[in-house]
Amino acid sequence: MQILLLAAGLVVLVAISVASIMVVDRAREDSSLVVHTVEVENQLSTVLLEIRRAESAIRGYILISEPSLLTQHETAVIASRIAVNRLLALISDNPVQIANGNELKAAVDKRLGEFDGEIERLKRGDRQGSIDLLRAAGAAATTQRIADISTAMRREEDRLFAERTISADRSQSLASFITITGSGLVVALAGLSIFLVRRSTRARDEAEELLRDTNLNLEATVNERTADLREANEEIQRFAYIVSHDLRSPLVNIMGFTSELEELRGDIFRRISTLSRAALPDASLSENVTDSAEPILEGPDSKLSDEFNEALNFIKSSIAKMDRLISAILNLTREGRREFQPEKIDVRELIEGIASTVAHQAAEAEAQIRIQPLPDIVSDRLALEQIFSNLIDNALKYLKDGVPGDISITGRTKLGFAIYEIADNGRGIDPKDHQRIFDLFRRAGTQDRPGQGIGLAHVRALVRRLGGTMSVTSQLHVGSTFVITLPTNWNLSKQGKAA
Amino acid sequence: MSKPVTIIMIEDDEGHARLIERNIRRSGVNNEIKPFTNGTEAINYLFGSDGTGSAHKNEALLILLDLNLPDMSGIDILRRVKENRFLKYAPVVVLTTTDDEHEIKRCYELGCNVYITKPVNYESFANAIRQLGLFFSVIQVPQAPT
Repeated sequence: MQILLLAAGLVVLVAISVASIMVVDRAREDSSLVVHTVEVENQLSTVLLEIRRAESAIRGYILISEPSLLTQHETAVIASRIAVNRLLALISDNPVQIANGNELKAAVDKRLGEFDGEIERLKRGDRQGSIDLLRAAGAAATTQRIADISTAMRREEDRLFAERTISADRSQSLASFITITGSGLVVALAGLSIFLVRRSTRARDEAEELLRDTNLNLEATVNERTADLREANEEIQRFAYIVSHDLRSPLVNIMGFTSELEELRGDIFRRISTLSRAALPDASLSENVTDSAEPILEGPDSKLSDEFNEALNFIKSSIAKMDRLISAILNLTREGRREFQPEKIDVRELIEGIASTVAHQAAEAEAQIRIQPLPDIVSDRLALEQIFSNLIDNALKYLKDGVPGDISITGRTKLGFAIYEIADNGRGIDPKDHQRIFDLFRRAGTQDRPGQGIGLAHVRALVRRLGGTMSVTSQLHVGSTFVITLPTNWNLSKQGKAA
Repeated sequence: MSKPVTIIMIEDDEGHARLIERNIRRSGVNNEIKPFTNGTEAINYLFGSDGTGSAHKNEALLILLDLNLPDMSGIDILRRVKENRFLKYAPVVVLTTTDDEHEIKRCYELGCNVYITKPVNYESFANAIRQLGLFFSVIQVPQAPT
C-alpha cells in the first residue's frame, strides 16, 4: 500500500514536471510568435518609413536641387530594399503573408522605379516633368497599392497577434493550472501518506502491545504449566512410592508363608518317609533317625518332593525378582525426592575418583579409561557421581569380548552448558534400542550381564532434574557414546521442588 | 508382684501379624499377644471406654506398632500413647515397611523406643522378629502408674 502510494506520488510528480516543461515550452513558442508578429509589423513600418523618406528626399531634391538630398534619397532607397528583404525573410513562415510580401515587394520595386524615372527626368533638366510625375505618383495606384498591401499585412499580423496572444495566455493559464493541480495532488498524496503512515504506526504500536501482553500471558501460561507438570511429577513420585511401598506388604506375606510352606514341606515328607518306612516289613531303623536332616524318600515320593521343591524355588526366585524391582522403584522415587546441594565440582577429579574405584574391573577387562581435561561445573556432587559411575560401569560391563577396552571421557563448554562425552569401543547398541535403553527395566542386546535395567533410567532422571539432557550415539559392534549436557551453573531455584 | 507383660500388636496385615507372632513365639516368648488389625480397635482397647487409658493402670504393656493402618496413621497412635499419662511408659516398637528417614526421625521425636523396618527377605524378617522376641524376653517393662 505504502509503496503503491509512493509510486503514485512519483508518477504524479514526473507527469507534472513533464507537462510543465511542455507547457512552458509551448508558452515560450507562443511568446516568440507574438514577438515575431510585432517584429513583422515593425519591419513593415520600417519599409513604409524608408519609402516615405525616399519620397520626401526626392521631393526636396526636385524643389531645391540640393545634391545631399539625392544622396539621402539613395540611402533611403537602399534601406527600403533591405527592409523589404528583411520583411520577406521574417514572413517566410506564413503563406498568406508571403503572397502579400511579394505583392508589396513588387509594388515597392515599382514605386522605386518611379523614383528612378523622376530622377532621370530631373537630370535631363525636365524639372516640371518630374514635378508632374511626382504629383501623379502621389495619387497614383502604386502608392495606394503599397498602402493597401501594408494595411492588409498589418491586419493579417494583427489577427495573428490576437490569435497568438490568446494562445500564449491559454498556454500560461494551462501551465499554472497544471502546476496548481499537480501541487494539489502531491499535497493530497503526501497527506494520504502521512495518514497511512500514522495508521500503520498505530497498528504497529497496537501489535507491539498485543505482543507484549501475549508474551506476559505466555510466561504466565508456561509458569502455570510448569507448576502443573511439577505437581504431576510429584504425584507420580508419590504414587510410585506408595505403590511400591504397599506392594511390599503382600510380598512379605508371600515370602514369609512360602518359607513357612518350605518348613511344612520338610515336616510332611519326613512324615511320609517315616510312614512308608513303618509300612515296610523290616522296619529295622529307629524312628529317631528320620527326625534329623533330609528324609530318605523313595520312588514316587522322591519325585513328589522334587516337584514340590521346584515349585517353591520358582516362587522364591520370582519373589526375589519382584523385590528387586520394587526396591529399584523405591530407590528411584527416593532419588527423585532428594534435595540437590549445588557446589563447585572439579569434574575431572570426580571422574578420576570413579575410575580408581573401578580400576580392578577395568584391569580384568583389559580396558583403559582415558580422562581428558573436563570443564568444572556447579551441581550436585552425589548426582554427578551416580551419573558418571553408572555410565562408566556400563562402558566396562558391555565391552566386546576379546577386544581391549578403550573408554574416553571428554568435555567442553558451550553457551552456559557443559557437554561431557563418555565414549567406548564396546559392543554398541542397535539404533532401534537407542530410546528403549533409557526406559525403566528395559535392556538391549545380549542379556549376558547381570542388571535390572535401572541404571540409564536413573541417570536420565538425574540429568533431567539437573536441568540437562542426555543422548546416545551408537553403532552395533563399534561402540557407544553417551553425551550429557548439563548447565554449568545449576542453582536451587531451578530445582523441581519435591514436596 | 508385677503382672506379665502383654504385647499389643497393631498390624493391619493379618499375614504379617501371623508371621510376627510365630517368630516371636519361636524365640521363646510366651507372653500374651493381643492383635489388632485396625487403629480404631487398638485405640479403643488402649484408652478404654472412658478414653483416659486408666483401664491399664498397673499393667505392663509393650506395643508393636505398624505405621500404615487402614483407618489412621500409626504415628497418631504413637503420639496419643506417648501423651497419655498411663500409657507413656509402655515401650513402643514401630515395625513397618517404611524406611523413609523423615518418618523414622519423626517417630523417635514422638517417643518411639525402637524403630524396625520390616525386611522383605523372609530370612531377614524372621531373624529380625526372633531377635526382637529375644529383646522382649530380657527387656524390663514398667507398670503403668496407678
